[in-house]
Amino acid sequence: MDDPIRTEVMKHRLVSVAEEMGARLQRAAFSSNIKERCDFSCAVFDETGNLVAQAAHIPVHLGAMPLSVQGCLETLTFAPGDVAMVNDPYRGGTHLPDITVVSPIFVNGHTESTLLGFVANRAHHADVGGMSAGSMPLSQEIFQEGFIIPPVKLMVNGQKNEDVWRLLMANVRTPDERVGDLQAQLAANHIGMERMQELAKRFGVQTLLADMDALLNYSERMTCQLLGQLPIGCYAFEDALDGDGFAEKPAVIKVAVTIERERATVDFSGTDAQRAGSINAVYPVTLSSVAYVFRCVLGLDIPANSGCLRPIHIIAPEGTLVNARHPSAVAAGNVETSQRIVDVLLGALAQACPERIPAASQGTMNNLTIGGWDARHGRPFAYYETIGGGMGAGPHSHGVSGRHSHMTNTLNTPVEALEYAYPFRILRYALREGSGGKGRQQGGNGLIRTYEFLQSAEVTLLCDRRVTQPFGLEAGKSGQPGRNRLKQNGVEKDLPGKCSILIQKDDVLTIESPGGGGFGSH
Amino acid sequence: MALLMSQNNQQEFWIGIDIGGTFTDFVVYSPNNRSLERRKILSTPSDPAEAVLQGLEQFSHSGNRHVVHGSTVATNAILERKGARTAFITTKGFRDVLQIGRQDRPKLYDLFPSIPPPLVSREWSFELTERMDYEGNIVTPLEERELKSIIKTLKNQNVESVAVSFLFSFMNPVHEQWVATQLRAEGFFVTASSEILPEFREYERTSTTVVNAYVSPVLDTYLGRLEQEMTPTEFHILQSNGGRISVSQARGHGVRSILSGPAGGVVGARFVAGLAGFTRILTFDMGGTSTDVSFVNDEIRVTSEAEVGGCPIRVPVIDIHTVGSGGGSLAMVDAGGNLRVGPGSAGADPGPACYGRGGRFPTVTDAHVVLGRLPADGFLGGQMTLKAEAAYDAFEELGRQISLQALPGLDIRQNLALGMIQIANAHMERALRVISVERGEDPREAALVSFGGAGGLHACDLARALGIPHVLIPPMAATLSALGMLAADVQLDYVQTVMLPNDTTFEMLQLQTVGMVRQGKEDLFRENISPEQAVMTRTVDIRYVGQSFDINVPLTSEFRQDFDRVHQEAYGYSQPDAPIEIVNVRVCAIGRITPPPIPCQPLASPDSSSAKWEERSVVLSNRVEAVPHYWGSRLQPGHKVSGPAILVMDDTTVYLALQDHASIDAYSNIIIDVGAADG
Repeated sequence: MDDPIRTEVMKHRLVSVAEEMGARLQRAAFSSNIKERCDFSCAVFDETGNLVAQAAHIPVHLGAMPLSVQGCLETLTFAPGDVAMVNDPYRGGTHLPDITVVSPIFVNGHTESTLLGFVANRAHHADVGGMSAGSMPLSQEIFQEGFIIPPVKLMVNGQKNEDVWRLLMANVRTPDERVGDLQAQLAANHIGMERMQELAKRFGVQTLLADMDALLNYSERMTCQLLGQLPIGCYAFEDALDGDGFAEKPAVIKVAVTIERERATVDFSGTDAQRAGSINAVYPVTLSSVAYVFRCVLGLDIPANSGCLRPIHIIAPEGTLVNARHPSAVAAGNVETSQRIVDVLLGALAQACPERIPAASQGTMNNLTIGGWDARHGRPFAYYETIGGGMGAGPHSHGVSGRHSHMTNTLNTPVEALEYAYPFRILRYALREGSGGKGRQQGGNGLIRTYEFLQSAEVTLLCDRRVTQPFGLEAGKSGQPGRNRLKQNGVEKDLPGKCSILIQKDDVLTIESPGGGGFGSH
Repeated sequence: MALLMSQNNQQEFWIGIDIGGTFTDFVVYSPNNRSLERRKILSTPSDPAEAVLQGLEQFSHSGNRHVVHGSTVATNAILERKGARTAFITTKGFRDVLQIGRQDRPKLYDLFPSIPPPLVSREWSFELTERMDYEGNIVTPLEERELKSIIKTLKNQNVESVAVSFLFSFMNPVHEQWVATQLRAEGFFVTASSEILPEFREYERTSTTVVNAYVSPVLDTYLGRLEQEMTPTEFHILQSNGGRISVSQARGHGVRSILSGPAGGVVGARFVAGLAGFTRILTFDMGGTSTDVSFVNDEIRVTSEAEVGGCPIRVPVIDIHTVGSGGGSLAMVDAGGNLRVGPGSAGADPGPACYGRGGRFPTVTDAHVVLGRLPADGFLGGQMTLKAEAAYDAFEELGRQISLQALPGLDIRQNLALGMIQIANAHMERALRVISVERGEDPREAALVSFGGAGGLHACDLARALGIPHVLIPPMAATLSALGMLAADVQLDYVQTVMLPNDTTFEMLQLQTVGMVRQGKEDLFRENISPEQAVMTRTVDIRYVGQSFDINVPLTSEFRQDFDRVHQEAYGYSQPDAPIEIVNVRVCAIGRITPPPIPCQPLASPDSSSAKWEERSVVLSNRVEAVPHYWGSRLQPGHKVSGPAILVMDDTTVYLALQDHASIDAYSNIIIDVGAADG
């Protein structure tokens, strides 16, 4: 049995390391996506790549980060001063804009240095090349989505691996920003590494390794304990994405959650086969979604680590929407499919523990990328944002309006920051009244955001719940689906949920995000 | 503030007043006989002014009162949502800016988030047709007629206070100013964002503007009443930035004093530490339910990223980090079998088990009793007797819930108590790291200044964990905040967002500060600050083009080099060839005041045996030993005490471990040389 005092003390020490990394990354980064919207995560890993402690950042990164570290471990051999990066979804990444930077932590002994573990951080880059600016395209294979980075070394023996940097920068639209953000990611890992080395000096490598192991065991015990409180049984649910942007045929995700004594099996068998469009999730994304749901439902009040997932067995058949095969397109899998995986899991668990589960939230991130040539500043630009919506109502509370839910929690970009930096203008940013599902408790309202373009630009929309609706629970009504509209030369028309279009000067685009589902009959 | 007797030969009093949850503290200095007194009376939460007036009558009857006051009225108005009837007017399309905020939820893993409602409801949020672009050019002219119907609604609804915040008003305030003028003419209390915070980011600016509109009328009523009833010669209040400001200037700017409570403690800590020769300090204020920490590197560190009751405020406030860990924090065993401390707290009622008021669960305070570090008959200098048995019983019960093998020589209750202290310390060590290393400051060159009631038992262990060489515990630490009020300079902050390009010269930036410097001088003049006492500092917020956070550096001809250097220090890299943007220019106008002289005594011999009480069993880091206890009230300047030892003070108890050596300095501070960790 691990020491219940020491484990608790070390938990604080290790989380503190991840938090300091996050503070450093946010402050030093260049792009508004990282600084203003905080679209990044930082974590500490043991020597085999288990995530030991993580600062509370973006849920979609949580379960998936260890697979990036493991991906690097499988491909590379590390020496002191080396730093790796990876974004390949088929080698531990999630989608290409998320670049994960991994640093080994070596501790110097008398004769040789010992590997203590890793620190890593993942940040969403505003552009990594590919067919459309912002690298969240309407793609049909991964090669269109951007520059694929398998595990490679960003730094070798403390020196920049210049060839890799040059190659990457030649393949992205805004290289200066990428350099700045990557340097910030390096700075974050550097401070994390220093702190871990300090801890190793203070307590000894072996003790620290044992402490990390104890922390994993502790999280596992805690998860088992809390799983034991759920009623034993098998609970099934299904829901669908609107389509993949090419064939507007719903893409169905099925799940059966089996709760046994202190264990759970999550089986996605029966889920639709992977599609041509980018709504395919790679396995790490599915894993993150499952980790998120159990963490919320069990009320796990501990730092997320790999131990939390040990009692949960996932069956995700290969070649389906929840475990895509190379080289299928995956850009929207991370941001949209992940949300629907959460929806079906909550729908299933609502049958097991209705008191703990809210109706469906907006179920999309309303991804919008705008790119082109900024004539004002004489440079190319790429801008990415996501828009909050209605949250689902609960048994005892109305759903919150105009917020991000579940797998993301990124901030909006202030209008006054955005208009200064990019050639478009926001005309309206408001709550979308009447969009929340009716019920004893009302679903939260979605948002309306209207863009006026000051020059032509390329716009890509990856939005879901434009056809299907966020479900209500216990006879509560569904939330309203979202809507995308474009006004050109005074004529307004609806746009599909997922599309890529050329927009002219003076065009006006309006995104209306979905409302959350209601709870209980009115 | 004149040191001389006034013309009518009345006695002069300088009075610092701090309102706490339980006590209202007074520090009263009389220049006539150079006496400095510290007094407390019970607070009157339903009407805080009552205790203030009572105390003034008692401690400064018939005299000229120069009062500095830290008020919690504005903070409470927000926390309890009991501010003025406030409306809000903004640019067409954006009335929901307060409802949407930054579109994030406060906790990631909470499926049912509870989000504090904005101070102004949607119904009282109004839009006017108007628009500026990012350079301040008028895109859509103001539809002046629309204001009429809004004014009508405001009057029908008996609205008192109106916040006006238009997009890009910091680049061109003409629309905002026109609306503000009209509303003022109609008798409303008006806060325009371009007056209170001409800085970009619409949500944060609007929130700050609305907070000001919401609290200022309430603060105004409170201060008006005090001013009328206590007839001070001079009346200042402490602001959240740690500077004082005259009541007449404070009244329209309630947002500036919103976090003045904890600010007094930091100013006081800086003052006493400075006298003792420490200019680089970590302040550590551990109370019953929470702990406040901050960093002072000669100057008090301020931030513009504070939040009160769910509302961001972007005026400079002292950078204080708070964690929910205090003497009353409760222990429990969680589902994974770990011992946890907090965030639950026994509060004041029932309080820790050892208070004997029915508390059954062990708190941090109970842990110290079980370890013998907090003598049951020496609490608050012996004013209150603790029930040690109740503390032991609480740990006995906890021991039944946990799987733990006690260390040799300790029983399970002592071992758990020791663990509880280690965990509470881990919480607070994290807080101290946030405020120091995460802000790029090295704690190893600082002193830890502890002034909370529960702090003395933790200060040395925390200092040791962070490599901090010295701990300072001031005398009468509990009234440090009231003393800080008297030591606070006059301070006024001004900011303007400018968004200037890379080729902006030093001279051009200086020009940008001219208006603010003039305003600062006028405001200081109104504060009766002579030109000799006035200090103007000019700074600029700079970032590399493309970045969205900025770094504040002094405005000198070297500003570019300084920026690269500070960036390098803070983030490990810099780009001297990359273009920069100048985001904001700032002016800080300071009026230096003379703080009250603190009595200084000659040092006696180091022999402290006259202060010795007795020896008792105390659990040290891993064993039990007989440890000498000292009465703090008998310790004299010059005395030295080596650990292990317990110093029983009137408002805190200090634990010295084996490696720690304390001495009493000429100002009666306890200065502790903290030894390194043992193994």
